[in-house]
Amino acid sequence: MNPLVENALENLKSGDPQAVERAIESLQTAVYSFGMKVCGNTHDAEDTAQETLIRLARSLKEFPDARALAVWLYKVAKSQCLMSRRKSKFAPVEMLSLDELMPRHQAGGRDEPRSWSVTPEQIVLDRESRARLAKAIRALPKHYRLVLILRDMEELNTREVAEVLGISEDTVKMRLHRARVFVRNELEEHFRRGAAPEFPLPADALKAGAAMRRNDA
Amino acid sequence: MPDRRCREIFAALSQYLDGELRVKECSELERHLRDCRPCLSYLENLKTTIGACRQFPTRKAPKPSARVRAALLQAIRK
Repeated sequence: MNPLVENALENLKSGDPQAVERAIESLQTAVYSFGMKVCGNTHDAEDTAQETLIRLARSLKEFPDARALAVWLYKVAKSQCLMSRRKSKFAPVEMLSLDELMPRHQAGGRDEPRSWSVTPEQIVLDRESRARLAKAIRALPKHYRLVLILRDMEELNTREVAEVLGISEDTVKMRLHRARVFVRNELEEHFRRGAAPEFPLPADALKAGAAMRRNDA
Repeated sequence: MPDRRCREIFAALSQYLDGELRVKECSELERHLRDCRPCLSYLENLKTTIGACRQFPTRKAPKPSARVRAALLQAIRK
């Protein structure tokens, strides 16, 4: 879960003025940042944060724990954000076909997938790479973008994302995979230029996959 | 990915990375990855993409408005 939200409820209820101020700023940052990812502009993100937090004030006593608060916050923020978007530029819902997203390489051909030889840290620290990633996420159709933002950026679990969006867990998983593949494919050209000539050893990659699963557990 | 097995693997990569596959499915997928360099590279890059999303920096937000602060402080005092 987003650490900004995780500690906010306890701090809000603590009665300590400094902790309360920290909590208000953390919630503002969390909702504004989410609004920027979904809406893509500062005006809508500010409106989203303001309206969401004012509604939160009316419901503050209702949350038993931080997870319940997070689900409520993202649910309300998502609705606020989509209402703002409807006022300005309505994006039609598009479907992503897994078949169309699948790479069409021939073994050993020029278009065969190769390791980019970059780490996630390098991507987010490099301005151009970070901008390409942000652009790829913005290019996602709305339903897919929301799932990717909530699951991979705000770090809600599958059940929580399903609750926020009012869809089944299977639909979350389906949309998440397509969204991830879409973004990965959008980044392909950018990183292919800097790809190392050698492929990583399969054993290393499998170990890395296992480590990622352990971290998710 | 022209091979039928590659297509099946491709569809299951996120579930594999999220630890949602059954043990048997996981073993079969890993066996395929040992022999299929394109699928392995695809997985590697997908994992890097997810990692970058998770580490994407939080946007600096403007200060909460006076209206927001007042509403939350009043709610806490109740």
